[in-house]
Amino acid sequence: MQIPQDIAILGYGAYIPRYRLPTTEVGRVWKGAGKGPNVEKALAGLDEDSATMAVESAQKAVEMAEVDDLGAIFVGTETKPYVVKSTGTIVAQVLGQSKTLAADLEFACKAGTEAIQMIMGLVGSGMIKNGLAIGADTAQGRPGDELEYTAASASAAYIISKKTVKSIAQIEGSTSYISDTTDFWRRQHEKYPRHLSRFTGEPAYFHHTQQAVQNLFEEFECKASDFEYAVFHQPNPRFPVEVAHRLGFNIDQIRPGLLSHIIGNPYAANSLLSLAAVLEECKPGDRIMMCSYGSGSGSDAMSIKVLDGIERIKNATYPRIKDMIKDTIKVDYATYSKFRNCFNLGNR
Amino acid sequence: MSISYWRRRNNYYKLLGSKCRSCGEEFYPPLYNCRKCRSSEIYDYSMPKEGKIISFTVLREPMSSFKNQQPMILGIIKLKNGVKILSQIVDESENNLQTGDSVKLVFRKINVDECSDQVHYGYKFVKIRV
Amino acid sequence: MSTNRIYIASVGYVEVSDHWGKSIGDLMVEAGLQAMRAAPSIRPDGIIIGNMFSALSSSQEHLGALAATGLDLVGVPAFKVEAACASGAMAANVGYSQVKTGQSEAVLVIGVEKMKDLEQPDITSALSVAESAEYTQYIGASFVALNALLTQIYLEEYNVTRDELSAFPVLSHTNALTSKHAQFRKHITVDDVSKSALISDPLRLLDCAPVGDGAAALLLTNESRINDVSSYPVEVAASSASTNVFSVYERDDMLEFNATKQATKKAFEEAKIDVQDVDTLEFHDAFSITGALSVEAMGFSKPGEGAKDAAIGKFSSKGEIPSQTFGGLKGRGHPVGATGIYQIAELWQQLSGKAGDNQIQDPEIGVAQNMGGIDTTSVITVLKRRE
Repeated sequence: MQIPQDIAILGYGAYIPRYRLPTTEVGRVWKGAGKGPNVEKALAGLDEDSATMAVESAQKAVEMAEVDDLGAIFVGTETKPYVVKSTGTIVAQVLGQSKTLAADLEFACKAGTEAIQMIMGLVGSGMIKNGLAIGADTAQGRPGDELEYTAASASAAYIISKKTVKSIAQIEGSTSYISDTTDFWRRQHEKYPRHLSRFTGEPAYFHHTQQAVQNLFEEFECKASDFEYAVFHQPNPRFPVEVAHRLGFNIDQIRPGLLSHIIGNPYAANSLLSLAAVLEECKPGDRIMMCSYGSGSGSDAMSIKVLDGIERIKNATYPRIKDMIKDTIKVDYATYSKFRNCFNLGNR
Repeated sequence: MSISYWRRRNNYYKLLGSKCRSCGEEFYPPLYNCRKCRSSEIYDYSMPKEGKIISFTVLREPMSSFKNQQPMILGIIKLKNGVKILSQIVDESENNLQTGDSVKLVFRKINVDECSDQVHYGYKFVKIRV
Repeated sequence: MSTNRIYIASVGYVEVSDHWGKSIGDLMVEAGLQAMRAAPSIRPDGIIIGNMFSALSSSQEHLGALAATGLDLVGVPAFKVEAACASGAMAANVGYSQVKTGQSEAVLVIGVEKMKDLEQPDITSALSVAESAEYTQYIGASFVALNALLTQIYLEEYNVTRDELSAFPVLSHTNALTSKHAQFRKHITVDDVSKSALISDPLRLLDCAPVGDGAAALLLTNESRINDVSSYPVEVAASSASTNVFSVYERDDMLEFNATKQATKKAFEEAKIDVQDVDTLEFHDAFSITGALSVEAMGFSKPGEGAKDAAIGKFSSKGEIPSQTFGGLKGRGHPVGATGIYQIAELWQQLSGKAGDNQIQDPEIGVAQNMGGIDTTSVITVLKRRE
């Protein structure tokens, strides 16, 4: 993509619920023993959903960015509270915004990063001044299915605007690669998504991630060693390590962004959350390569350069990802079921 | 009751109460007239989002529309401006709560409406963790 | 202010119970007929119904007119008064004014509530309409939770123990044992209260007035009519009402029942009595905590000492001020809109010497306190035996 060279992240926010379901609980109930590829997964409380989590991370992003008006609010999620009714309007109402373009996006786990790309267009063209991109999901695995170990909940929000001295990181390059590949999907009438097991690997995750990153390298004439850090979508702890290796990144480059072993896969929030974890470690001048993956399928790859503005947030008391992963509340499978049923059923 | 909920959504989302232009007293829920100085110069004003627990209880037998959320912790919280409000306290077991704990506001689902099946959102409080 | 004196010509009531076979109309008429048949020479020229949530429990409003037809009093003006759980005493208050101002000669006041056609969680919802729909019901806070919050604050503020507070339900049950119309005729101890199921801590099942169906009636009339009926009539010496800031947590001092305090002041002034003159008392013990705070607000106990006074027997039948003589809300029952009339009817029985096994020694002045919400509305009725 042709990117104007003055689009930057002005503020961001992340939210991980406090509840954790140890994967040994899933193993205990469905297999008598064992655990998942991750130790625990983050679980939304019975009174949380994608809208409430989107609000939590959005409020933090607004606080960091110090903006009063948002020309666009895009929420990327596959667990919208309503099939028909904009989640963005709920976020807008809480933030006191009304002169705003609100949209809900769906592209499985990459809905958050594509929200950023779309906002970049609105900002770059001068149509809006500040735009808010959110990835939020309360992912729920089918009971007894492999994905139940990893399907998790979280949200992350980014405010994009034209570059100023306050900006935290510039988005220098961005590209998207898609194909009609249905590795993981949910029809409208279904409660839980379905997937094609091993097919979700090579033809889906690996192909699209690798292709998007290679396209990024080609378009913007860069390579893995040009980046201090890399963030890959983490459906499980193993895939990002493998794809990083294939693309020439080493473990130290991806380590700060690795979260799935302790929180699972929060779908549309996945890459954005890891990016936030990496930004907490960065210094001005560092480059981050982020590549998301959304089933269906597609990957968004971006080249992000950290700016001096990151010093502003280092000294402030913004909540850190490192704090959100401490002091958690472990629940058992029964409590997790109770929380989950509160989402999906009415009162009776 | 979705229309009556919609009507108050700014109150619920932003803890919008009232402030008296005359004597400066703040109120939540909002008022039509100042209860302190009787002035009618009252305007919309957002309450502070932090406070301390004055009292809390674990309700084990809620009303029908909240049955699936039992047990629930309810508390009276004194906000930083002295205004007391009634709210649920969440994400904490009752054994980890005591009177005097500092709490802050979070945005959560309150309920799913029995008639319309719409989701009603609003404020709850969580313990502030250091 | 008119100098007409108002009297209770007769009373009537049904047992407080699960009246599966009786509708709200059946209950109203039964109580009303009892009162009318006890004073057959007086035909009511006004009907006032005290009721809180007939629409929710029975899909029925327009209770006044329904009673008029049921009681064969077609043509008599009739309406409903609603003030949450104070509906009964408030209906009597309006009846009292109507006779006092000469608008009516004899008003039949009937308090009625049909609760048991609803299941418990729906009863909790129905009762909760006495609290703010927008700010209290909205977050799922029902009355037991609000009273529990208040109890915590009270126990801490005044260093009162759990067992001291339990003296209230124990007292109510003790008196209810010999009360034929009481819902619960079962002895309980302080230990039983502490062992009963937690509803909203620290309030337990035995701290909370039960749910039941009931109806009670009074026939109010003036001086000229009363002499036809009784030589030792019981006078309504005062009926006063007041309101407090709507929700308890909005008040500066949550432990001060100002509505009860103000209504007591007005009523005692009107009746020309003092706290020491009161021989028997019916206070609003919907929850143990409201018992304590009510006796304190009326001046029968010092602030913080209501529970302690109950624990040392001040309000028991042999105590300084025998109260809840037929079991109060906890023992006799609390069919909410009817409660205020049950209280007045029971005081009438005491003052008329018609209290049977529950008779206390020679009472001349009785006071009833009936609240809506947590002291959001409070009505004080003073009865005097005329010599």
